[in-house]
Amino acid sequence: MAGIISSSMVLFSGTNVMTNAQDGVGAAPEARADLIIIDNMKSFGPLEKATVEFLHDTHTKALAKNNESCGICHPVAKEQFYPGFKRLKNTSREEVMNIYHDGCIGCHGEMRLKGEQSGPVECDDCHMEKKKYNSSHLAIGFDKSLHARHVQAHENKCDQCHHEYDEKTRTLFYARGKEGTCRYCHTEQTKDNLLSMRVSSHIACINCHINNQAKNPLPPPVKCSQCHDASYQNTIKKLDPIPRLERNQPDMVMITTGEKDLDSGVKIQMSLVPFNHKAHEGYNDTCRVCHHQEMKQCSDCHTLGGSDAAKGLSLELAMHKKDTDRSCVGCHANQYTKNRNCSGCHQFTPTTARMSNRSCQVCHIPIPKGVELTDHTAQLLLEGRPEKPATYTQEEIPEKIIIGKLSKKYASVEFPHRKIINKIAENMGDNKLALHFHAEKATTCSGCHHNAPLTKQPSGCSSCHAKAFNDRDMHKPGIVGAYHLQCMECHTTMKINIVGCKDCHKEKSPQSSALLQREKE
Amino acid sequence: MSISRRNFLGWMGAAGLAASLVDKQAHAASTKEFAGHKGSYGVLHDITRCVGCRSCEEACNTVNNLPKPAKSFTDESVLNKKRKLTTTEYTVVNESVQKGSQIFTKIQCNHCLEPACASVCFVNAFQKLPNGAVVYDASVCVGCRYCMMACPFEVPTYEYDDPYTPEVVKCTLCAPRLEKGLLPGCVASCPTESLLFGKREDLLKIARRRIEKFPHRYIDHIYGEQEMGGTSWLYLSGVPFKDLGLREDLGNTPAPKLTSGALHLIPMVVSLWPVFLAGMYGMTKRRNTIANEEKALAVAIAIEQTENKAAEALSQAMEKARKEKENILKRVERTRENRVKKALKQSSSTNSEEGA
Repeated sequence: MAGIISSSMVLFSGTNVMTNAQDGVGAAPEARADLIIIDNMKSFGPLEKATVEFLHDTHTKALAKNNESCGICHPVAKEQFYPGFKRLKNTSREEVMNIYHDGCIGCHGEMRLKGEQSGPVECDDCHMEKKKYNSSHLAIGFDKSLHARHVQAHENKCDQCHHEYDEKTRTLFYARGKEGTCRYCHTEQTKDNLLSMRVSSHIACINCHINNQAKNPLPPPVKCSQCHDASYQNTIKKLDPIPRLERNQPDMVMITTGEKDLDSGVKIQMSLVPFNHKAHEGYNDTCRVCHHQEMKQCSDCHTLGGSDAAKGLSLELAMHKKDTDRSCVGCHANQYTKNRNCSGCHQFTPTTARMSNRSCQVCHIPIPKGVELTDHTAQLLLEGRPEKPATYTQEEIPEKIIIGKLSKKYASVEFPHRKIINKIAENMGDNKLALHFHAEKATTCSGCHHNAPLTKQPSGCSSCHAKAFNDRDMHKPGIVGAYHLQCMECHTTMKINIVGCKDCHKEKSPQSSALLQREKE
Repeated sequence: MSISRRNFLGWMGAAGLAASLVDKQAHAASTKEFAGHKGSYGVLHDITRCVGCRSCEEACNTVNNLPKPAKSFTDESVLNKKRKLTTTEYTVVNESVQKGSQIFTKIQCNHCLEPACASVCFVNAFQKLPNGAVVYDASVCVGCRYCMMACPFEVPTYEYDDPYTPEVVKCTLCAPRLEKGLLPGCVASCPTESLLFGKREDLLKIARRRIEKFPHRYIDHIYGEQEMGGTSWLYLSGVPFKDLGLREDLGNTPAPKLTSGALHLIPMVVSLWPVFLAGMYGMTKRRNTIANEEKALAVAIAIEQTENKAAEALSQAMEKARKEKENILKRVERTRENRVKKALKQSSSTNSEEGA
């Protein structure tokens, strides 16, 4: 059986769905999600003739019209249809060629004799150098909503899809509580009798869908375009709210280091992080975003020292690495650099710099001595965190600031200080990430008043920024540069259309300019 | 001590050869290690900061007393077309739209560390000053415009419309202002510090630090650090430089090095020519001497050979004479013996008769 499976996989991988047709002159090639390029003969050496464009859905439709089953083309093994045309194995060049020529031309010819519309029977009508179609094939994701719908339809019978593999008996079995995502085992390429994601998903999904056509009021999709076409994908019903995946996972959990005591007997110094697992399930489409290889605890592989299984990536790095979206810090950084409500201030945060010491405690909440590190503790710690946007009262925030020290050509700028702070606070909204990290009142101010102490009256721009091009401090912009860089880059990033000179500066009237000139003279 | 013509030429030749050898070594070393004058100035143009306000163009126009352009400096329609440098615009800002956002790039003379314009100028009208500026001296310029051909950045322009005293025109890095302790006009006017003036080595450090701190904002390349052997004007960008019209195909070899092979032959030819001529003379003369010597030798040999021949002939003749004499003597002896025998025979017969 294993042999059959793997060889059928070879057949299937020989056909290339994603190949795009060459752009011909004239009309743009039609885009099809069901386009399959038949190039199986490649496995026997260089091709003699051009590859063949095959439209799968066109054939499914024609067969359905004549009440024919999929079995007319697809081989059957273990009561399941297998991918590949009329064979489970690529035997020899001659034989495979004959299977295609006899199968295709034979059927086309028969239909023609019956006077029905049919496909080509002559060589160059199939083996065309100039391609007619473009592939619009889109991979389909099995998101949480779709998963939940399948759970409902199958009445929580997880074993219908999820399985484990027994090496000894070479059979599949179901293990409750060990369910993972398909891709943990089924990767891009077939290895021995472990099928690729593509082959296994087509065998499993389509056979099940075919068998359930009659039972289901909403017949499950069996055609290529029903899963792989963008317009169809948009019509897939989304559950609202999407139920949680149920696999006995905790709501809140302490992220452990996996080590009870260090060798010296001294307790681990850093406070453990209570983690809101339930909330993070909602932020992500699949479990794989975090549990990327197995449904295990992080510290099972990412040990403090960095194990071989984790390719040396220690727990500290796995949680804090900045240039990835898999670590906590990396994913959070992605949130605030991509969200335009945040990026106005955060674009000035150096991407590679270390986070401030103050921010450690936002996650590493200090845990009193003697408290047991249970999931309940995690819940208490997380619930105790402030979630209200805390900034100063309206009276405490200066309303307007006049920037006019260096005005030559233009009049002074009236800076709507309070309006801007209110907007920043408003943009934080109920974003938990923002609320936790901006819990201190003055953090609302620190986007502009960067490098200033977090106090109610932080130092102003000219406290640090002076005349430009001081060769003793070349890294710091001068005062004019500082204003323009800060204001304009923030406006540009947040897509606030106040970037022209006169959007902020009023031009001095000619009269006053002349006066100024005279004063100078 | 008087100097003979021959000695003089000999010294000159030796000096010329030595000079060309020493020069060759020094030249090889210099192109490898020369990284501009130590502590020279430059400008870092951070393209990601430029907002396209054209204040730099206006300032350049003012400080260089250039004619006012037809369209004002606040007219944004100027940016619709890609512009080149002209005799009245030492710098221009060009707009390029990349992935939907406007990017502005200021162009002007890049003030190469080893300028191509200076290397091709045979009257040395161009000079790289220790402060970093590449300046032009119109008083020696003959108007060949080789500099315009040589510049990879298409910077020098020529006053074709001036029939009497046309000059080559380009940005001077405001060298006159630098002397007075003032910033270049464009830099002083830039509101966003997109232009940063300072020592080139400091600017490189700043540029590297910006790339390091904001790897998503910048591409990891400082344009002008290596291009054409390095330029005093440096650029940072968030998109590939070639998309902004800055050539990336220039390589890192300074222009003078590319032509130095041919140019360095000139001093060698000039200094070695007398030596060569002297050598030719010497060789001709020596050839004559040798010919004479060979002639004398030939005569001597001929004489010797003749003498030898005569002696041989004489000895042969002597030998012959000796042999003839011997033969004669032998014959004489034989004849006498015969005569004696005859006489003896006669006497014996007479005696027997007598005795009988």
